[in-house]
Amino acid sequence: MERESMVDELAQIVGRENALVSEMDLMLYGYDASLYRGRPDCIILPGSTEEVSKIVGFAHKEGIPIVARGSGTNLSGGTIPSRGGIVLHFSRMNRILEIDTENQRAVVEPGIFTLVFKNELARYGYVYQPDPASEKVSTFGGNVGENSGGPHCLKYGVTTNHILGAEVVLSDGEIIQIGGKALDNPGYDLTGVFVGSEGTLGIATKIILRIMPKPEAVKTMLAIYNTLDDAGTTVSAIIADGIIPATLEMIDKLTIKAVEESIQAGYPLDAEAVLLIELDGIKDGMERLAERVMEICKKNNVREVKAATNEEERTQLWAGRKGAFGAVARLRPNYLVCDGTVPRTKLPEVLGKVMEVGKKYNLPIANVFHAGDGNLHPLILFDERDEEELSKVHAAGSEILKLCADAGGTISGEHGIGAEKMKEMFFVFTPRDMAAMRKVKMAFDPKDIYNPGKVIPEAEA
Amino acid sequence: MKREDLKEQFYDEIAKCNRCGFCLSVCPIYAAKGTEWATPRGKNAIIRAVIEGKIDWTPEIEECLFRCTGCRACTQTCFPSVETNDGILAGRTCLVDTSQYPKVVNRVAEALENDFNISGDPNEERNSWIEFLRDVPDHMYQREKARVIYFVGCVAAFFPLVQKIPQSFVQILEGAEVDFTTLGGEEWCCGFPLIQAGMTKKMEKLVEHNQQKVHEVGAETVVFACPSCYHTWKERYKTDAELLHSTQFMERLIDEGKIAFNNGFHKTVTYHDPCDLGRNSDIYEAPRNVLKRVPGLKLVELESNRQLSVCCGGGGDLEMIDPDLSSAIAQKKIEEIQRTEAEVVVTSCQQCVRTISGTARKRKIDLKVMDITEVVLEAMKS
Repeated sequence: MERESMVDELAQIVGRENALVSEMDLMLYGYDASLYRGRPDCIILPGSTEEVSKIVGFAHKEGIPIVARGSGTNLSGGTIPSRGGIVLHFSRMNRILEIDTENQRAVVEPGIFTLVFKNELARYGYVYQPDPASEKVSTFGGNVGENSGGPHCLKYGVTTNHILGAEVVLSDGEIIQIGGKALDNPGYDLTGVFVGSEGTLGIATKIILRIMPKPEAVKTMLAIYNTLDDAGTTVSAIIADGIIPATLEMIDKLTIKAVEESIQAGYPLDAEAVLLIELDGIKDGMERLAERVMEICKKNNVREVKAATNEEERTQLWAGRKGAFGAVARLRPNYLVCDGTVPRTKLPEVLGKVMEVGKKYNLPIANVFHAGDGNLHPLILFDERDEEELSKVHAAGSEILKLCADAGGTISGEHGIGAEKMKEMFFVFTPRDMAAMRKVKMAFDPKDIYNPGKVIPEAEA
Repeated sequence: MKREDLKEQFYDEIAKCNRCGFCLSVCPIYAAKGTEWATPRGKNAIIRAVIEGKIDWTPEIEECLFRCTGCRACTQTCFPSVETNDGILAGRTCLVDTSQYPKVVNRVAEALENDFNISGDPNEERNSWIEFLRDVPDHMYQREKARVIYFVGCVAAFFPLVQKIPQSFVQILEGAEVDFTTLGGEEWCCGFPLIQAGMTKKMEKLVEHNQQKVHEVGAETVVFACPSCYHTWKERYKTDAELLHSTQFMERLIDEGKIAFNNGFHKTVTYHDPCDLGRNSDIYEAPRNVLKRVPGLKLVELESNRQLSVCCGGGGDLEMIDPDLSSAIAQKKIEEIQRTEAEVVVTSCQQCVRTISGTARKRKIDLKVMDITEVVLEAMKS
């Protein structure tokens, strides 16, 4: 179909001002936070479920690809319009529809920023637990699509554990309801299928969330280590002891150096690694639990454990973790955040191998990650403008994922597969596994209009 | 400016943008528009694409780059602190060189060329705000020599809505027995609107003139109630004189015991940090210290204060270029102000006063907006 008539049709649905088609706009909706690029044919900003339904119905009839997106913070190229078509930007559908504290549920539109919702929720003394690093701008549509994680997912689970249902526009434009406010919904668990499907199965237009009362007490500790091994062993030992901290984050030497050079969080420069351990829950017993954690740290040769005694000290301990990406980003113009998961017990071994990959390609690698989950985030530092270096980065990223898969882990902790890791899907799934996934895709989207060319590789290795 | 210069000066800076999108959360233009072109990330991408020869200057790019308030909240929230606004201003310079810019800007550029002020009125009328004052000294605040120059700024001098600022500030200075003068018709625009318009070259004459005047008066200190004049002087002027914002100067006068608060100010107020004073000049505490010393005044902070302060919508020539967008941003600011339930919103910038109160008036919202100089003067009166 000619672009002009396509845009005319779509503009009739959403209004001319919500249909973007200039050269500039096509360029601007061709990127996300990954290293991938595409180019849509037009960008539409829908204002309601009905509009989304009409747009999708039209695209279905014409066989035009659709990529739904929010803030475009995706790290695996999931929001790249690889095959052109329509980009649906949900910035106008950004309302909180309901906060129901008695039933611990909330309903939001897909375009709202995670943190805007959480700040509103805080007024009621409630929290939404998942805390992706990009929560300032990540939208719920994106959180659902990617099944986002974050430090607190160690104890509370990733996004899928907090999504109870949604209103979804199917690939033919039909509007359906999946899940609901109840804890256990009858029939197939379509919500489970849908969360993490990266925009390939449907588009959520309303999302039902689980919310929880704010924990009564929080205890934050910083454990400093002379070796990466001891830090890694501590992580496994804490979990093995039956303690599930709210967060258990590790920061390595290169990151510590960068943090201290930029924000001075008080991390010792000669340490090989620090662990940021946070407990939350009821007040009673919290101190005793903290003592047990410190005991485990000591058994594993910790150099020192600092415990925050008030909110100010807690903020200070977190400052280094929160500022870590920023600090590292100062070292080179660009960074690739790898995202792989390994069994906790394999952390020290795999980390060592990750660093070897860095040496092999002559690329600096810094590590800041969700150690409790075994979710590694090696940050490969480089200059995107240097094509040779860029190709080395892609190769190194893939090798790191292979290491994770070979160690019994997997190729994504929370960033999704997108365009970036399709060939790596073969590291963890057999062709038969993938054929089963493809059947699900075909059931929901037989014409392959929803985010085509993502997640499931076409060719078999 | 040519593409090669843009590349030389900004490519490395823009290349630091990893498109993480954190800037979207704080950009007032994005909050109002919801499109990628409105975002700082998008603007970085445009400058980069131009540098790399992937896109040419187009009318859409002109529209995009001339819609930034210069609040720099994006840089504040950016991990590698990419100076997006610098790139945008350079982009505007390139656009001006190819004659692609909002022609409304010409009116101001011509006024500055001919009359040395943004209003286009004869520059001798710069002191017209004095007419409304009683007990004005014979010298009409214009003396040949003084230790302090009060640089009034175009907006406060010519726009009736904010003439209360110079009217208040000279009374404060008199009350505190400061040896000061204004430059009257010899004060020329600081050049700020030209920087925003991408016409930096045209400001040289203005800068030289103003610098010369400070030298002639022999002033040790130049004081500004306008944060944008203050910021422009700090960044672009060469002078031995100490440059202070009115809030800093008033704080000093209070500390020296030269300001007596006879009346006090018995209201709950909230304070809006102007971008050019706060984020762009790093002055957050002086205004608060002044307000805290005013008897009876109760200060409640906005949700987003100090470094996180949200622009009123009046920066970056936006009010001139796209008044509707400016007003949409001001509307959000007003909502934030209303949530504090303060009786008065105080700021320390005539442009913020104009944008906020202008939008409140247009939309029939009952809101009391005051410049900090007005509050101080009222508190001094007996």
